[in-house]
Amino acid sequence: MKRLAFLLLFMLALQPAWAKIYKTQLENGLTVLVKPDHRAPVVAHMVWYRVGSNYEPNGITGISHMLEHMMFKGTETLGPGEFSRRVSRMGGRENAFTSRDYTAYFQIVGKQHLNDVMALEADRMRHLKLDDKEFQKERQVVMEERRWRVEDQPPAKLFELFNAAAFVNSPPHHPVIGWMTDIEHYTIDDLRQWYQRWYAPNNAILVVVGDVTPEQVVSLAKKHYGPLKPETIVPPKPQKEIGQSGVRTMEMKGPVKVPQLLMGFHVPSLVTAKDKKEAWALELAAAILDGDSSSRLSTELVRGKQLAAAAGAGYNSISKWDPLFVLEGTPADGVSIEKLKQALLEQVERLKTTPVSEKELARVLAQVEASRVYSKDSVMGQAMVMGILSAVGLPPDLDEKWADKLRAITPADIQAVAKKYFTQDNLTVGILYPNGEAPKKAAMPAAMGGHLR
Amino acid sequence: MKAIMRVMTGLLLLAWLATGWTAPKIETWHTANGAKVLYVHTPDLPMVDIEVTFDAGSARDGKAWGLAAITNALLDAGTKGHDENAIAEGFNALGAQFGTSADRDMASLTLRTLARQPIMDEAVALFTEVLSQPAFPEGPFVRVKRNTLTALKEEEMKPSTLAARAFWKALYGDHPYAHPVSGLPETVKGLQLEQVRAFYKRYYVAKNGLISIVGAVDRKQAEALAERIMGALPAGKKAAPLPAPKPLDKAVDIEKPFQSTQTYYYLGQLGIKRGDADYYALFLGNHLLGGAGFGSLLMEEVREKRGLVYSVYSYFLPLKQPGPWLVSLSTKNATAYEADKVVRQTLKAFMQHIDPDKLQAIKDNLLGGWPLRFDSNAKILGYINMIGFYDLPLDYLERFPREIERLTADDVLAAWRRHIHPDRLVKVMVGGFKASKAQ
Repeated sequence: MKRLAFLLLFMLALQPAWAKIYKTQLENGLTVLVKPDHRAPVVAHMVWYRVGSNYEPNGITGISHMLEHMMFKGTETLGPGEFSRRVSRMGGRENAFTSRDYTAYFQIVGKQHLNDVMALEADRMRHLKLDDKEFQKERQVVMEERRWRVEDQPPAKLFELFNAAAFVNSPPHHPVIGWMTDIEHYTIDDLRQWYQRWYAPNNAILVVVGDVTPEQVVSLAKKHYGPLKPETIVPPKPQKEIGQSGVRTMEMKGPVKVPQLLMGFHVPSLVTAKDKKEAWALELAAAILDGDSSSRLSTELVRGKQLAAAAGAGYNSISKWDPLFVLEGTPADGVSIEKLKQALLEQVERLKTTPVSEKELARVLAQVEASRVYSKDSVMGQAMVMGILSAVGLPPDLDEKWADKLRAITPADIQAVAKKYFTQDNLTVGILYPNGEAPKKAAMPAAMGGHLR
Repeated sequence: MKAIMRVMTGLLLLAWLATGWTAPKIETWHTANGAKVLYVHTPDLPMVDIEVTFDAGSARDGKAWGLAAITNALLDAGTKGHDENAIAEGFNALGAQFGTSADRDMASLTLRTLARQPIMDEAVALFTEVLSQPAFPEGPFVRVKRNTLTALKEEEMKPSTLAARAFWKALYGDHPYAHPVSGLPETVKGLQLEQVRAFYKRYYVAKNGLISIVGAVDRKQAEALAERIMGALPAGKKAAPLPAPKPLDKAVDIEKPFQSTQTYYYLGQLGIKRGDADYYALFLGNHLLGGAGFGSLLMEEVREKRGLVYSVYSYFLPLKQPGPWLVSLSTKNATAYEADKVVRQTLKAFMQHIDPDKLQAIKDNLLGGWPLRFDSNAKILGYINMIGFYDLPLDYLERFPREIERLTADDVLAAWRRHIHPDRLVKVMVGGFKASKAQ
């Protein structure tokens, strides 16, 4: 007995400041993920709901995001804005965000406040009061948000239209924030139904990272979330994207001086891929094109041939529906969109014909491994990774195995996915052209112009 | 009532102390050639963060606006031994992260690396080479200049950028803080490589710089790192003090019509320097007025009560010389004037009377949240770099909550009335507000 205690102490002393993820499920179906990190007396507390814009039917696009805003507008026992005021008074930081596959709420507080934030978060999981007057005001806020994020930002508009062209029938067709006309026409009942349908413990994941023990968190979770009733959750229909057979091109004009180019290929994700190796190979392809400052797009297109002022590649492998593998670029001064497009296509062509070098693979792996250590510097960052992975149905500790998964991929695997997916028939192109007219700027009289009052 | 609250706030601090919390222990010394060193030992994660900062921000541009930024951006564009691709490859192959940044006061280089050998050693060697032997080759200079011009061209199409530029210009006139850090197309076009080399030679010197180190290296290792990195630079001399900007003697209204769905809005005036004794009172007041997101008066009045904006905030940006204090928001064109009115009313009411309950709530927020401000190596690095650059006391992170705790509503009001003059503010609006001019 004594010896065991000694051994335990010894093991504790050997434990690094970060530890493994503890996972359990409450009887009502709430998934609980805990990761102790004792570097500072703080804790990140997050609740993730498996609902987002990909769950939304036409006509109410963006409603998950609208509901996220309404989650701060009071419950049966708490007044509007009171949630934030209480967390603020604890010295906490809090907010929420909506994405395609999830909606998440978080607070970062001193560990002594974990009990209190859990009580607040559990309360609004099932007891939100959706008041029409508050909703009408908050709808205006969301419309301002859309104007600010999209309407006055031609590149953001291009991205919306590009997605709408690439995805014909699957949910990523519409933007997370929703189309303006849909935002204008939600009713309070739309929100009530959406809330009732998705906000329940069996559709949620609790993530806690910080100066806590798993036992402590589970006991608090049972106390606050345990009594909440589960809901019958009917997952959305498959809505699998129809096949593509030919290049799709969409063009848009806007008040810009420099054109922009987007290109996307339909690809599987870590969730949707039948053969997961494909998704890992696509991850590597993205890293080799644009993982860092010595990746191919930076070295060859921006610095070498100087065809692009900026160029990038992106692939969101953590996605419940098939995503796009995206290439984007801003042509360098005097370079045509067509020339930049050809250069980007040559890059994907090379992925098909020439195996990537050992050196390139080693560089990508060195960074993935170092990033694993760097990511431990932030409790919030760690909670984010666990939540995102879990919300789409992947193991929450997958990032710990990231390097091993990538190491198992061969140059031939990368060639194979490039050949299979980076084809003309699977390509959508989006181009933003200057509309030729400068936005109407008033001629400024002397002394900064306008009028002095 | 007040006394009870005082006790409560004290308890908040005590609660932190009971959890074993202490601010990070900051150590400081100078390298042999006169560079200041700030260091915090954080042994938990096997990594190190290093930041080297010089008094070489855009306030040192002279007439060559954009010179500080382009000099900073070109540091890793090649050394005598390595071209830019080899430098990028060098950091990347080690899993190290290298970065540069410039603002009005500072120009910085950062390195994040694993603390494991030989990785750390190799990363530091390359970092030191980039810092101390940049070659500023012609090719990358021409390219970076051209791409900067492309980006600037695009910036001029953004109402938010135009509003920010107009605000700084109105506030600072011909002071070196007036122009954008990136420069303007007409000034960037004229930049010469000789100017870049001369700028580097003048300002990237030990006595004009400091190095901050946070991570899993002990004091002896940190001393060796500092000597190795900063020791590679000539001693040089400190940059001359910047002139003080002149406060405005009357209100200024700038309204620029622009084709956009929202109007972008700034309201503000000169604030204070880093190290000003009134900073605590001004900061606490601003935290209540518009610095704390939800929980701030502006957010409550402009967004929560009226739905006019997605975001509204205010802040002081203390610099070597007085930086601005400002309120910023964007709203649909039809409500631009209404938003302006609500902001001014909120400011006026705040400066007349501070609700003691609200002040207490915002104090609780600041004090209770204090340790969240340095709960990671990255955040600690940010603070010690600031403390070092602006010569703030080493116990700044402990002193700050104590000073905040002591302040009464009267202290806050007195400081605000000394510094903020609602009748002499600069207001900037850029957007399609004109249609709604009738009030």
